[in-house]
Amino acid sequence: MSSGITEDALRAEVEAWLADNWTGLPAHHESFGRDPRSEWLAKVRDGGWATPRWDAEWHGRGLSNDQAKIVERAFAAVGAPGAGQDRSNLWANTALAHATDSFKRTIVSQLLAGEVGMCLLYSEPGAGSDLAAVRTRADKVEGGWRVTGQKVWTSGAAVADYGMLIARTDWDVPKHRGISFFFLPMKQEGVEVRPLRQITNESHFNEVFITDAFVPEENLLGPLNGGWAVLQTALAYERSVMGDAARGPRSGAGGPKGDYSLLGLAQEAGRLDDPLVRQDVAQVIAWRVLNKLNTQRAKADMAQGTSSPIMSLGKLAMSRILHEEARVRTMLLGPESLLEGPDHPRAEDANFLSLNAYFTSIGGGTDQIQRNIIGERVLGLPKEPEVDRTIPFRDVRAG
Amino acid sequence: MTDTMVRPEAAPAALDAADRAALVDSVRRLLADRCTEADVRRIMDSESGHDAALWRALVDLGVVGLTVPEEHGGAGLGPVELELVMEEAGAALLPAPLISTAMASVLFNGERLAKIADGSTIAAVAFVGAYDWTGRSDVRVAGDRLTGTARFVPDAAIANLIVVAGEDGVFVVERCDVTITPLPVFDRTRRMADVAFNGPATRIGDSARVAAARDIGIVALAGEQAGGVRRMLERTVAYATERHQFGRAIGSFQAIKHMAADLLLESESATSAARDAARQLTEGSQTKDAAIALAAFACADAFVRVAKDGIQMHGGIAFTWTNPAHLYLRRARSGAQLLGDGNQWRERYIQALEAQA
Repeated sequence: MSSGITEDALRAEVEAWLADNWTGLPAHHESFGRDPRSEWLAKVRDGGWATPRWDAEWHGRGLSNDQAKIVERAFAAVGAPGAGQDRSNLWANTALAHATDSFKRTIVSQLLAGEVGMCLLYSEPGAGSDLAAVRTRADKVEGGWRVTGQKVWTSGAAVADYGMLIARTDWDVPKHRGISFFFLPMKQEGVEVRPLRQITNESHFNEVFITDAFVPEENLLGPLNGGWAVLQTALAYERSVMGDAARGPRSGAGGPKGDYSLLGLAQEAGRLDDPLVRQDVAQVIAWRVLNKLNTQRAKADMAQGTSSPIMSLGKLAMSRILHEEARVRTMLLGPESLLEGPDHPRAEDANFLSLNAYFTSIGGGTDQIQRNIIGERVLGLPKEPEVDRTIPFRDVRAG
Repeated sequence: MTDTMVRPEAAPAALDAADRAALVDSVRRLLADRCTEADVRRIMDSESGHDAALWRALVDLGVVGLTVPEEHGGAGLGPVELELVMEEAGAALLPAPLISTAMASVLFNGERLAKIADGSTIAAVAFVGAYDWTGRSDVRVAGDRLTGTARFVPDAAIANLIVVAGEDGVFVVERCDVTITPLPVFDRTRRMADVAFNGPATRIGDSARVAAARDIGIVALAGEQAGGVRRMLERTVAYATERHQFGRAIGSFQAIKHMAADLLLESESATSAARDAARQLTEGSQTKDAAIALAAFACADAFVRVAKDGIQMHGGIAFTWTNPAHLYLRRARSGAQLLGDGNQWRERYIQALEAQA
């Protein structure tokens, strides 16, 4: 099929396909590993709707942006997931752009159908914001590499089939130039996953200990020692969604009017007549609404093909909102905030929020790193000198 | 003559994106030519603070009558276009009574509208009674006479007509029937005066449009502030790129870079708030009161913060009179009091949310 199809014909085709195939899905929750919807997603992929902008060779239809949006809108209209992964699927996009042809043949179709579980093996105890400082090593052996090191902050590691791994493959060049990017098979001897207990007393993340694990030759993405550039593509996808993804209070209290749930809390606490409380509550709600308005503007800009500086601001905005909302909730509750447990859900919300706000302000690169990125890439300010940029990694001071 | 007819809500003509861009571009070019920093300083230092020739150019371009209906000689456009134009005016620190004029346009009917559009009338608006944001006015209505003083009335000293807007109705008073006392204002680009009434007034409407006038004033002011924020940030970033200390551009230091990133968030948020308020006012949406209130304090706060931090980031050079940074700070602080302060608008915001809930 060529992209010369008319919009009406395309719309008719996708609507007919959905009418024939879409019967709805059972409700599901956030999950890692094999996607519970994979049977449906495989159908979408085979129908050419998962990645309508890509070539037929990669399950697509070579459609233009505007044409692809017709497909996405038709799927959205009936509530069917799976279309438009050519914009949203971090794993498939990274693989398509950088994987070897032989690996791409198997992995891309599996990723589009959610048939394999994925995790990110980037951060290390000694390489958080400075990912170019990774010390996990991949040493060349017959048919591939042997990997040894430790990774951290890995969601879904226990059920993942592959981890997107950055590891050092050359220690004698400056740090950005000796890193390679792999799809590491997770289900093998030598990969041990240990849950990490967070300050919220939850365990979303894991530490991953890697000892002489094997990654085959064809699982190298991009050139050997060229992993930094691959990582940048992958990180850009990840950061662009962080401003939207931040969680609010644990109970989700407030429902669809969640934005205004602070008002309800102030009312319940009998503090809604206090002018100072009203000022604080108004300000937090205002920041939330402003962030939404910013995101809407960014999306409108991007829909018109203009890049938007605003996408990089969502994470900073959300950090401020979450930390401040936690403070105001705590203030409203007073001594009740000293408690927790199921009998004190409001206190649990406030306390959870005050701890979990760091998920956003540290996760995905700290707010300070994000400010550097905004300053340099959006505002065009000069880069800060990096003293270890030109010396061999072997000689870089660390720890 | 009493004219309590409420002007019908004519749907403003909506421009498409290309025409909007052309409008903004024509305003930007006029201001680049006629409202340079040197012009701003000249007008600011003049007796009246008003440049009749520049005003004439704005009339000719259709900016002054932007929201006046076409049948009265205006452009017949709405809050969305007004806001975009005001962004340009704010960026250039344009010293001209555009906000007063936009508010008067909402309150006027017929011939008075035509005189706004053709530039023969400049009207200043004094909000009184329940609408008095200053809390310092004591204007009373007695029959067809007004007594008392309206305080801090923007543009009053250059106006031909003073419009008095409150819960008792909307009145106009000729300049010759009031006593105008210009005030020694902090921001010389936005003049204010006290207006003492003790004489006849012409009633031109009831109180139905008073809130609408204030709403359009907020949209215009918020747009002006969003434009001022953006220009101040641009200037600051440019300076941080060219100014070197310790062998590096100061913008390469994280202390400066991080401030700049935070200010970008302020700037983009102000633009979003101003444009959303304009859109909601145009559409008459159910949540417009909240949108107006949000724009009122968010844009004012953003401008004050960016103007203040911008001076800090410039360092000593911005502590001089000759550097324009203080003009932005003066404008920002003046605007933050122009139609009610942040605390008042945050209170109104929360009231609007309570009403929606």
